[in-house]
Amino acid sequence: MNEKLRAYIDAQFQDAPATRAAVELKEEILQNLTDKYNDLLAEGKNEEAAFNIAIASVGDFSELIKELKKDPAMTKEQEEQYAAYKKRKALLTSIAIGLYILCALPIILLNNAVGVTLMFVLVAASTGVLIYIFMTKPDFAKNDPSMVEDFKAWRETSSDHRRAYKSISSALWCLVVVIYFVVSFATRAWHVTWIIFLVAAAINSVVRAVFDLKK
Amino acid sequence: MSIASDLIRGNTDTIILANLLVEDSYGYKINKAINEKTNHYYELKEATLYTAFKRLEESGCITSYWGDEKGGARRRYYAITPLGKETYRMRKKGWETAKQIIDKLISDGGEQQ
Repeated sequence: MNEKLRAYIDAQFQDAPATRAAVELKEEILQNLTDKYNDLLAEGKNEEAAFNIAIASVGDFSELIKELKKDPAMTKEQEEQYAAYKKRKALLTSIAIGLYILCALPIILLNNAVGVTLMFVLVAASTGVLIYIFMTKPDFAKNDPSMVEDFKAWRETSSDHRRAYKSISSALWCLVVVIYFVVSFATRAWHVTWIIFLVAAAINSVVRAVFDLKK
Repeated sequence: MSIASDLIRGNTDTIILANLLVEDSYGYKINKAINEKTNHYYELKEATLYTAFKRLEESGCITSYWGDEKGGARRRYYAITPLGKETYRMRKKGWETAKQIIDKLISDGGEQQ
């Protein structure tokens, strides 16, 4: 395989999405260009001439890459399904939250064991509704390989950052608890030392922002 | 050359289908056949060729599969479907009709220069 050809095609495809269709198309074009390049060498052309002739006929891939980008990640049917799910989700979430708000009412009105029981029934009902929403979310990944690949590519790039962030964050909070007790016991100023936690939260947010910006 | 190329480009799909009528083939082989048939006068740009493959595959005129060859070369082969054959016949008929009409319309009526 000619490395120059590969580099050339890689450059042409740098805007292409990281889907299987795009990778396969790239491999296909590269293989065909390599065939052409080898034929030109066999005709007696030198390497540079063969490379130049091979890439001269390539043309403009931008149209093809645009096609790859808008490649329907979801079929029509799935899109409809998803729209229906979103509607259902909005309605059921509102109902569940409404029930949560109302759950205090029986206690206020009845002020006895029946009220407490009713409250738990309401809480159970609204939690059940929320769980139902997430359990019935349509699963697209199964019949759509490109979406899975996109997700994998995304996860690969972000997981390193996230792991680093998580360990820094947990170390920070352990440290803060230690500092809090040391400072509080030393100064006996328990009424003000809790501010340490606010400062720590601020530092944590700054660390997170740094990681987000780096991405 | 460029005027003729524009005219030919409008028939890219028909040309590809015609090449697949005989046997399954892959991108470079098809382009090479086109180049040889036209005495090195015409050749498709790779970008045009693969855009046409994609279009034809989406419309169900051709199907593709990865061939397994010795020596590490992995080529995607294309095969024509019954719908593709039907499309080819229609396009060919369309072209022949257009050719006759254009010939009549642009003829100089036997006038000598």
